[in-house]
Amino acid sequence: MDYILNGLIQACHLLLSGHAETYSAVWVTLRVSSLSIAASLLLGLPLGFLLGQADFFGKQLVRLVVNTLLSLPTVLIGLLVYSFVSKRGPLGELELLFTLPGIAIGQTILGLPIIVALTASAVENMDRRLRQTLLTLGASKRQILATTILEARFSLLAAAVTAYGRIVSEVGISMMVGGNIKWFTRTITTAIALETNKGQFAMGIALGLVLLFIAFGVNIVLHFVHRRGG
Amino acid sequence: MTHLFELRGIKQIYAGRTVLDIPRLDIPDQKILGIFGPNGSGKSTLLRILALLEDPAEGSLRFKGQPCSSGNDAQRRRIALLDQSPYLLKRSVSGNVAYGLKVRGTKDQAAVPRSMEMVGLDPKTFGRRKWHHLSGGESQRVALAARLALKPEVLLLDEPTANVDSESTDLIREAVFTARQSWGTAVVLVSHDQHWLSEVSETSLGLRDGRIVQMDQSGQSPAVSMKKVL
Repeated sequence: MDYILNGLIQACHLLLSGHAETYSAVWVTLRVSSLSIAASLLLGLPLGFLLGQADFFGKQLVRLVVNTLLSLPTVLIGLLVYSFVSKRGPLGELELLFTLPGIAIGQTILGLPIIVALTASAVENMDRRLRQTLLTLGASKRQILATTILEARFSLLAAAVTAYGRIVSEVGISMMVGGNIKWFTRTITTAIALETNKGQFAMGIALGLVLLFIAFGVNIVLHFVHRRGG
Repeated sequence: MTHLFELRGIKQIYAGRTVLDIPRLDIPDQKILGIFGPNGSGKSTLLRILALLEDPAEGSLRFKGQPCSSGNDAQRRRIALLDQSPYLLKRSVSGNVAYGLKVRGTKDQAAVPRSMEMVGLDPKTFGRRKWHHLSGGESQRVALAARLALKPEVLLLDEPTANVDSESTDLIREAVFTARQSWGTAVVLVSHDQHWLSEVSETSLGLRDGRIVQMDQSGQSPAVSMKKVL
């Protein structure tokens, strides 16, 4: 047990002393996960609304596929993205392998089904009287869409938090597509995996604490938004 | 003479069942029309068609001499419908009342407090109150205030006092009368409150199984007719 306790003490020391390598992983994680969640929301919100509101041929099949993609293993996404962005792959010329945009592509694929599925559910479960109310108050189609998004804001925020939680804590994509390059593509999770393999618990624990802190911060924001909105 | 609404051969069909079948009906302008009939007689369906929220399966509808349909935003903005259990937007009371004005781009700052006062809601006390901090009667009055703020040419009321206490009932009645007197708003009213209906209606319409069973434009009290139908 001593080595765990020592690891915890050293972790606190690393965090408080501003250890450059530790904070590099934190910074890389924040940058790449922000990029990924932004792309997931940008693509996922309209698609989720379309899936939740529109009636089209094959809708149930699309729903089934989206729900299946919710449990897509990160190593499989990593493998797929790797095969596309590696030099022999169709996107090899873009030189995305071992870069943050490359990781972000994989993480967007991870977050997208979560945003789409949860947005579609939120839209489907909205009060049926909303549309009629907006129409009778004179809203146009565009205003109805904008107000519906606003009415569903708490559910959409919960979807974003859920997706961000999955993105920020994944290892497979960051490891395979990013390559775990120190100072460049080493994220919190890949650093933890590496340091633990080396028997260096202190940095792993320090980064684990940061990861918990990020998750806590995101949930605090969600909690206050819910309270403010009622 | 131009009527408020002219209905010709109107039929509405839900899941293969005809729920409304009106060969001919002229609704006079500047009057209070009371619609009565048992549950499932097509009263609410008729109101939704008049509110231009849905198009009939068959037949034609004219509003003040002009052909109209649910796709015409400009015409729909002249008519407001209030349900017996209205939906309030997830925002403050004043935000709810101001919504219709906002989507129209109207900058009548006084309209919100004025319409709140019309339904007996003190703007200072209720203006910033959230939608979920209201009683059933208060919610109904907020919804009515949101419609009154728009000064609609036609106010369609579907059982507006069905789920509210006697104080709110009186306030809703008074507000409807004020709108009628102040702006000449035509009122079409559906209510189970036979006493109120017979008291306020200048003309009445009885429905049963989606068909007109009684039309009274003579000015005589419709109470007798109502008893027959109900």
